[in-house]
Amino acid sequence: RAHSNPFSDHQLEYPVSPEEMDWQKLYPHFFDEATSKMTKEVTIADIGCGFGGLLIDLSPEFPENLILGMEIRVQVTNYVEDRIIALRSNNAATNGYQNISVLRGNAMKFLPNFFRKSQLEKMFFCFPDPHFKQRKHKARIITNTLLSEYAYALKEGGIVYTITDVLDLHQWMVKHLEEHPLFDRLSTEWEKNDKCVQIMRHATEEGKKVERKKGDKYVACFVRLPNPTIM
Amino acid sequence: MIHPIQTAVVNRDGSVVFCVIKNMIQVFRWDQTKSEFVAAGQWVDDEDSSNAIKKKVSEEQQRQRAENEAKRRKIEDDAAESETAKRSRRHKDAKVPVPGAGAPPVYNHVRNLALSRDEKLLYACTDSDKALVVFALDFDKENCLILQKRQPLPKRPNALTTTQDDKQVLVADKFGDVYSVDARGSDVVDVSKGNLEPILGHVSLLTAVAIVCDADGKQLLVTADRDEHIRLTHYPQTYIVDKWLFGSKQFVSTLCVPEWGTNLLFSAGGDNFVSSWNWQSGELVDALDIDELVNPFLGDAQLAPSKFQDESNSLVEYAVSKLVTFSNLPYVAFFVEQTRALFICKVDPLVGKLMLVQTIEMSLNIVSLSSALSADSIMVTLDHRDSENAHLAAFITWDGTQFSVDGEKNISFHNCITEKLHEDPVASTEAQDIYPLYSVATLRKRAEN
Repeated sequence: RAHSNPFSDHQLEYPVSPEEMDWQKLYPHFFDEATSKMTKEVTIADIGCGFGGLLIDLSPEFPENLILGMEIRVQVTNYVEDRIIALRSNNAATNGYQNISVLRGNAMKFLPNFFRKSQLEKMFFCFPDPHFKQRKHKARIITNTLLSEYAYALKEGGIVYTITDVLDLHQWMVKHLEEHPLFDRLSTEWEKNDKCVQIMRHATEEGKKVERKKGDKYVACFVRLPNPTIM
Repeated sequence: MIHPIQTAVVNRDGSVVFCVIKNMIQVFRWDQTKSEFVAAGQWVDDEDSSNAIKKKVSEEQQRQRAENEAKRRKIEDDAAESETAKRSRRHKDAKVPVPGAGAPPVYNHVRNLALSRDEKLLYACTDSDKALVVFALDFDKENCLILQKRQPLPKRPNALTTTQDDKQVLVADKFGDVYSVDARGSDVVDVSKGNLEPILGHVSLLTAVAIVCDADGKQLLVTADRDEHIRLTHYPQTYIVDKWLFGSKQFVSTLCVPEWGTNLLFSAGGDNFVSSWNWQSGELVDALDIDELVNPFLGDAQLAPSKFQDESNSLVEYAVSKLVTFSNLPYVAFFVEQTRALFICKVDPLVGKLMLVQTIEMSLNIVSLSSALSADSIMVTLDHRDSENAHLAAFITWDGTQFSVDGEKNISFHNCITEKLHEDPVASTEAQDIYPLYSVATLRKRAEN
């Protein structure tokens, strides 16, 4: 299935709170048996990770970070899971790909169940569902109301990455992020020098498909600003 | 028979009662000198919902036409107009959909009554046009309800509160958004033009909304939803989320903010416990297990729907419908939907621990619950459809040591409301035509893949 309705009650597993999340099963390599605690926590999230191409390319670039893909479609999540298992076993000697994992979830509803305030450094939104119909716009992953939840999970200076081949959606995402008081757009100069932007342009399966079709790719990156004084 | 009172609100000192019966608001005042209730005002929502639907359909039609037109312009040269385009120019009027045979009945009722903090205004939400209706209250007039404005909203409103200064009404809807509407004046915003933007949103049906104030007097908006979430957001900077209160396992249906306990907040819903939170620290300070208290009062009404029932047909599901408190008395009262029992708990105002102190069994199922904050009294409305001449409501008051049913007040209210409404065409109904009074249970999530 190409789509999944983010508003319906899926059979989802999610922790009651971030403290109750069992990260051990997702990142066993980063679990310390002696203290029964994780040695690292997730700091990079790929929301709607699809087939996992971005995770796999980010993994060696950020060996010190735990990277999580969230995907709402069951079969796609299973595929990415299998892919990561295979990569881990093929790279067992170097402990490669231990820092990436995937879970099935609805980020639009349950992101705060997984991440504490200011936990994340980077959030990726790569080729999200465009939801062309106007009355479906609330189903878009970037809306001014959801951005406040992303801002909660991101630390100051954290980055939101967006990429799409749909111009209308690109303009929509830019408009909403620019309007949001807690985000500021980063320059094209910054984009040029950022390795994640390069990876994001080429790593994802959607990105490759667009390349084959010689379509356009629109990138926009935003930095999480400090909270203003509370009134 | 008179239709049951779907919801009621009592003012702080308990002297005025606002009741919703179908699409009508009825106001009754306690006359101290006569020691009885007197009718004080009424309002009937006579808005025809087909107008709102028609407006919406025509707007959508116009939007689609404009879109098609734009597409057509893209493909063709403007000069050479094709036959199909010409045909599409001969517009027909928008067709308003009519429910077919067997479709569930549409109720155009009033919901979500609330008073402004200064009790000078009454707010209500209407089904007919999904509007917030604002009334000024003037008890010197024969009819105390003076319609100020009617603000339609994009989606069905489901809960409301006001800011500390009473300047804005915050309306939470079934789509998960909260809108801020100017509480005073008569200006109406045209929502169809997209002029009303939500100030915050959940991707879940919102069930309750409240305002809390921190030690510096700064306001936070509390919103509860069908996905177990209770969120605190700064107000008016609603783009800054403060925190979530984690610990609910099922949908949240009711929130209650006491004036006597700094930082305390109570919630309940589909869980088998009532939650007491320190919203400042985000901690669940107590979860009062209510299984044992509630069990004796459950019946067939609480059996899970057959589709979700277990093999022994014994799966019971219940939900707390409403939780209320008082201004100075550290007690909370709550009831479980479609049961007769009212539970009253004493709260330790310092740590928020809950302790059941009283169970009051009514003769009929409770429909709604409201408290007179400073009078330490409670009003419940009752489902009297199966018992001729039974009371539509009951008053329960604090005598200094415990709560007890106020028989005299009940009789006075009964006499007043029956006299006022026994021949009222709006209020009268047949038992089978009664509005579904129990809708909280339907909030329970049923997972699909």
